[in-house]
Amino acid sequence: MGFRTKQIHAGVTPDPVTGAILTPIYQTTTYVQNSVDEYLAKGYSYSRSGNPTVAALEAKLTELEDGAACATFGTGMSAVHATMLAFLSAGDHAIISDVAYGGTYRLCTKVLSRFGIEFTFADGSNPEDVAASVKDNTKLFLTETPANPTMKCSDIAAISEIAKKAGAVHAVDNTFLTPYYQRPFELGADLSIHSTTKYMDGHNATVGGAVISNTAELGEKVRFIMNSTGSIMSPMVAWLTLQGCKTLSVRMDQQSASAMAIAEYLENHDKVEQVRYPGLKSFPQYELACKQASGFGAMLWFEVKGGLAAGKQLMDNIELWSLAENLGSVESLITHPVSMTHADVEEAERARVGIIDGLVRLSVGLEDTEDLIDALAKALDQA
Amino acid sequence: MSNFYLFDTLSLHAGQTVDKEFGARATPIYQTTSYVFPDTDTASSIFNLERGGHAYSRITNPTVGVLEQRIAALEGGTAAVCTASGMAATFCAITAILSQGDHIVASSQMYGGNISLMKNTLPRFGITATFVDPTDIDGFRDAIQDNTRLIYGELIGNPGLDILDLEAIAAIGADNHIPFMVDATFNTPYLCRPFDFGVNITIHSVTKWMGGHGTAIGGVIVDGGNFDWGATDKYPTITEPYAPFQGINLWEEFGPTAFATRIRAEAMRDFGASMSPMNAFLLLQGIETLSLRMDKHLSNTASMLEFLINHKQVSWVSHPSMPSHSSHELAKKYLPKGAGSIVSFGVVGGREAGKAFIENVELASHLANVGDAKTLIIHPATTTHSRIDAEALVAAGITEDMIRLSVGLEDVRDLQADFEVGFRAAKKIAGL
Repeated sequence: MGFRTKQIHAGVTPDPVTGAILTPIYQTTTYVQNSVDEYLAKGYSYSRSGNPTVAALEAKLTELEDGAACATFGTGMSAVHATMLAFLSAGDHAIISDVAYGGTYRLCTKVLSRFGIEFTFADGSNPEDVAASVKDNTKLFLTETPANPTMKCSDIAAISEIAKKAGAVHAVDNTFLTPYYQRPFELGADLSIHSTTKYMDGHNATVGGAVISNTAELGEKVRFIMNSTGSIMSPMVAWLTLQGCKTLSVRMDQQSASAMAIAEYLENHDKVEQVRYPGLKSFPQYELACKQASGFGAMLWFEVKGGLAAGKQLMDNIELWSLAENLGSVESLITHPVSMTHADVEEAERARVGIIDGLVRLSVGLEDTEDLIDALAKALDQA
Repeated sequence: MSNFYLFDTLSLHAGQTVDKEFGARATPIYQTTSYVFPDTDTASSIFNLERGGHAYSRITNPTVGVLEQRIAALEGGTAAVCTASGMAATFCAITAILSQGDHIVASSQMYGGNISLMKNTLPRFGITATFVDPTDIDGFRDAIQDNTRLIYGELIGNPGLDILDLEAIAAIGADNHIPFMVDATFNTPYLCRPFDFGVNITIHSVTKWMGGHGTAIGGVIVDGGNFDWGATDKYPTITEPYAPFQGINLWEEFGPTAFATRIRAEAMRDFGASMSPMNAFLLLQGIETLSLRMDKHLSNTASMLEFLINHKQVSWVSHPSMPSHSSHELAKKYLPKGAGSIVSFGVVGGREAGKAFIENVELASHLANVGDAKTLIIHPATTTHSRIDAEALVAAGITEDMIRLSVGLEDVRDLQADFEVGFRAAKKIAGL
């Protein structure tokens, strides 16, 4: 079954009782059992452990990633957290992309570090740096590619090899490109993590997360943490996300095409210092981006000449683009990572990994490309 | 499911069978437009009304269906149809049986929207109404014309709070073979079940006490199953062949649910005033605590009445539980648990003092709804009843200084403290 067919039909079968073509929203805590002996005969006991609406989304995401199992979570951060709890204990070590969402960095350095877990932030664009970071107690690799917000790409296949050699699990945060463009399991990874808040929902309606596993055994470990720590997804969020998934490919194609046009426009603009978009030939890892993904996505960043002051002025004045934290939605968003999404990353660390003060992040939505470019043009004129 | 369970049990269980597929304890929200048919024969028999089943959510939906069966059970009716709002319920119920040239005898003391529908809108389609003082029983009899097809009123009148003498008016309807339809929004089935007193059809704005939390707009029409539509030829929409469904005769096929079936087959299908599954789910949650909430509404109302009656800045207080109220005896008969949680009162100092009062209370919300868990107040003359003329305003029993209070579930001591702030502001305006 092709991806586009799966995004519509996978995981969803017409309701056997009424024929309802959409999965009902099972907004229920508990499930009546036929008898003590038949406990769980129908598959459900309590909605923390499992819920039919949430299960439909999990089945769909499993098929979209061509994985073996999926567990969903209340947020993308709880998906990342559960992955770490599933594979790391006190005394263990994990290797994380040195550029990652600020929340992931904060979780490692300010929260899990308190429980005796050790982290190394390695340059995922340089497999040798990753290999050199491996220790005897390395149990998990987490690769975010393209990375938020610098767009740095990491070689999933190369890091998977290193992880395999180390006997560790390799998790890829696949939020930016989704399985429509990037296939972590085909590149040797073990887990694919999503903030479903982003492209899976796509409409700024929900916050949610998912971990898809390449084997049932890994899936069991993640699901055990989901049930034990309880950061679950609600049936309503799952239902809305199920609807969002149906248009994933058409949104991704259109948003990515717009992003390409915007990146080219910005690259040729006198007032723009630099642009980073994996689809531009000028992108430092253009070849890797072409090799390991079938599309470039709808995230990019640029720096206005005049640095931070000029960038702030642009973000404060621009029309149509909303100054907001999320990404991946149909509404185009503009973000200043240094003061917003990555404010918890220390200044020295930001400088080391290239999150410069003047970096303006764009999440390209579904509006007409011309309107988005016009709004940027006007704002740049004033900058 | 036994039909003989008591009210609180029915309010939790009626209409719901535990989800067959997974055993889900709560009613699933069937947020779907359509239903996949197993085969074409089943599809055509559902379309032809030969068998039950779901085809398209404008007409039926399993989540909405649970709410419909639950309300029908609580009300003691044979069937119910939910609608997108209380006004949609009124409109669909009337147009299911009345056509061009037909006539309604209605109470003059009703929600402004109901009066406007009958006075301004329905006449455009050849349906006219005569409005009668709800306390004037002979007036109802005298207003009946050859073409009268419906008697309509609110059990607790809005906003004058006169109680309709259900049995007396039902008898007039029975004598003339005319169904008696009652808007039972203010009482809910917990305080009174109008079918027990000869009423034939009830409608509710379930937005109000039934839902109880101000979260969803909705309406319902309940078929009492106790009207003999076939006794005369006055009701051709029920008793004559219905062309869109191969000339089916609803009265012969469906008997005590013929009226509800007509609404399903026509109003839902052609007018499309359907309730959404999400609203049905929210309203079901509300109904689960209906009796608990109503008891608290009533005890808070009793406390607020005592407070208002003894307040120097209150010129008058009206509630059917007060012996001074003209409907006090009828309230005791039809509403023995209590006469609802709507109170009218006047503020000393008239219109301007009333305005100052409303603008200075904080806890009581100034808005045009009633029956919320939160306490609400409004000035009817300038809001809910502003679109009817001065003469009708008097006929509806509304004065310029009237404040309508919908007593909520807050701690009554907080409400009284809040009202004192309003009264202090009113005092300045009144120059007291």
